[in-house]
Amino acid sequence: MLARVAANFYWLGRYLERSKHTIRLVRYPLDQLVDRPGAEIAMAWEVVYRTLGQAPPGGSATTEEAEVYLMTDAYTLAGGLIEEASNPDSILSCWSTARENARQVRSHLPLPVWTCLNQGYLWMRESDLPSAWASGPAALVSEATDRLRHLTGVMDALMYRDDGWRFLSLGQFTERLQHQAAFLGAWVELGQRTEGAAALPWADLLRICGAYEVYSRHHSMEVRQEQVLGFLVRDPELPRSLRFAVHLIEEALAGIDPVGARYPLAPPHRMALRLAAALEVEALDGRRDGDSARFFRIIGGEARKLHDLTVSAYLDYTTTSGLET
Amino acid sequence: MPDSESTREHPFHPFARYELDPRFYDEMFDDDGTPRTASRRMRDTLAGFAAEDLTKLQDRVYRRFLHEGITFTVLGAEEVTERIIPLDFVPRLLTGREWDHIERGLKQRLTAINLFLKDVYHEGRSLRDGVVPVDLVLGCPQYRIEMRGFKVPHDVYVAVCGTDIVRTHDGFAVLEDNLRVPSGVSYMLGCRDAVKDAFPELYRAHRVREVSDYSERLYATLASLAPSTRTPRVAILTPGLYNSAYYEHALLAGEMGVELVEGHDLVMHDAVLYARTTKGLERIDVLYRRLDDEFLDPVTFRGDSVLGAAGLFHAYRAGSFVIANAPGTGVADDKALYAYVPRIIRYFLDEEPILQNVETHLCREPEGLAYTLQHLGELVVKEVGGSGGYGMLVGPHASAEERAAFAERLRADPENFISQPTLDLSRAPCFVDGRIEPRHVDIRPFVLQGRDTQEVVPGGLCRVALRRGSLVVNSSQGGGCKDLWVIDE
Repeated sequence: MLARVAANFYWLGRYLERSKHTIRLVRYPLDQLVDRPGAEIAMAWEVVYRTLGQAPPGGSATTEEAEVYLMTDAYTLAGGLIEEASNPDSILSCWSTARENARQVRSHLPLPVWTCLNQGYLWMRESDLPSAWASGPAALVSEATDRLRHLTGVMDALMYRDDGWRFLSLGQFTERLQHQAAFLGAWVELGQRTEGAAALPWADLLRICGAYEVYSRHHSMEVRQEQVLGFLVRDPELPRSLRFAVHLIEEALAGIDPVGARYPLAPPHRMALRLAAALEVEALDGRRDGDSARFFRIIGGEARKLHDLTVSAYLDYTTTSGLET
Repeated sequence: MPDSESTREHPFHPFARYELDPRFYDEMFDDDGTPRTASRRMRDTLAGFAAEDLTKLQDRVYRRFLHEGITFTVLGAEEVTERIIPLDFVPRLLTGREWDHIERGLKQRLTAINLFLKDVYHEGRSLRDGVVPVDLVLGCPQYRIEMRGFKVPHDVYVAVCGTDIVRTHDGFAVLEDNLRVPSGVSYMLGCRDAVKDAFPELYRAHRVREVSDYSERLYATLASLAPSTRTPRVAILTPGLYNSAYYEHALLAGEMGVELVEGHDLVMHDAVLYARTTKGLERIDVLYRRLDDEFLDPVTFRGDSVLGAAGLFHAYRAGSFVIANAPGTGVADDKALYAYVPRIIRYFLDEEPILQNVETHLCREPEGLAYTLQHLGELVVKEVGGSGGYGMLVGPHASAEERAAFAERLRADPENFISQPTLDLSRAPCFVDGRIEPRHVDIRPFVLQGRDTQEVVPGGLCRVALRRGSLVVNSSQGGGCKDLWVIDE
């Protein structure tokens, strides 16, 4: 597969995943608007913006108590993450960039995949936030979620499992690893600052990660911080766990460079295996919060290194090294 | 228009605004308004539709193009926009007999052009014998001195040709040959799928000749040109996402199962062409290029090109791979040289041209310039190297000021222009503003020249000037497209 084509699959995976991530994040404070006090809503916005490493529009996520200000601020904050074209993490930007990547690999995509992505983009571009907001702040985000799920399903059903799929998957789970680490780190850090009634509920963290029900089944209804973090880091079956992401990264890399076909293993593959081993044995239970935050920062840094290694090994190498292979 | 049984059932009459004009050949009706034999079924079907059904059909084919992203890119001064080419859902019909005549003419024309190209880059017999003026060829900006003496594999200079054909009361005539990077075949395929979907029963009833195997035929044509006997690796070279025909490049690559490469995907090593893949460099045998000569290689041609690949032409001359169409073919689709194609056919094939040319006045010749200036209000004046409907003057539609300004340009640089009479292009029924109305049309069939084969896909891009009275069919100038059905009666 052409290196440029592989790069576009990789970035397509990353942007679609980023879009999912932003949708999950922005949905959290929007859902809270219905019945939570202003301070909690402000805290939720802070988690969102801190996870993305961005400053909220206007410089602060502080929300006024009065209902009218609450809604006004929420509108501005959500708008920055939904339809702001200059924000690379906004849902519109992610769809737009994903579509550009898909255009570059159109000849490799089944027509229904392209059509589904294109329809989603056209819908997003033509969506009118003010009127969507009037009919319920979360409605637009719900529709975006449904469209992404639909696209994911069509891709899963129709895409040929070749290197295009593997690079897509590699991009998707590298993005997930990086963002999930940033999200968990932001949650832990903010949790340290706030305690008592204003503390961030750990059950909310599980809900955002789509893991509340399964946690209750596997552990208990009593949500404990150490168990929650351990679950979200190490559980091999949980799609939003860090270990799950690293496992899928390793699987994609093994397909791209089949084990045994080329030794020594390519640098990204070696790093993924090392990360998988580290996550498997890492005991978060009983860690102090400061250590946990540092741990997540390290994982985020490793995800960025993995990205750099992927680029230099497969996507942007020298002519001499290309001839050698 | 006369009523049929079916139209009397509806108070709405789709053809109520369909006015015949004796100046123009109508593709559906005789001069007295009777539907032509081949068009009767189509006419009756359309006449039986209610207004809302026609609108729904148009909306359906439009949405299909929109959702599938069948677009062309327009480069503006400040932004790049993707546009859906306007698609008219009413197919144009040609009978099998009409088509067979066109096909024979196109094959004859391309055979002669390939012989001519070989000649001008080698012996130059036709130049010495005065078939074509020497200065016209050697002074043509598309003449590539770098190709002189180079043996093009299998002597196939033009592997893919798109020839624009119009019909008047006098019959079919060639308007121009596109020998460099002819585009539009994706619209032929897109229109066919959309219209077939809209009229499944009508399509079946008409026994339309198929075009869906175009990509297979194109692949076979390109593969036959490969220099080696091993299974050839074919790639399409695109200028990239912002090229107006990018959709087409991607579609063809997908359908043929070949890589769509950009210049920076290519690497030359020891005069061999490679593509940069995730598993290292992989060799390419046939490069179907979709960018102009001058951008192919910054070392040989335009030094500021970032679309091609450095060293590409050197590797090509070493013979390790094939470029289709070969560099330098543009010398034969220059609008001034077009006037000499009938002579080229007679000289190389010793045959009379099957398809006629449109009368052409060369402004490089004093008589031609004088005639053009005298009749500017009646003529269409074109730049010899122009395309896409840009840089031309349509005399009857131009203001006195525009004509005066154009006359100045003509006097200043006469060699750069030709003129032709304003053609009475035939008209075909189109759905416009809720009714069926006639609009001017042309067709661009595609001819494929392989090592031992020559094929014409039975169909083509049918372009339509959607603005009332307009004769300009280019998509960049408000034109659209429609499906072309070649039917066996």
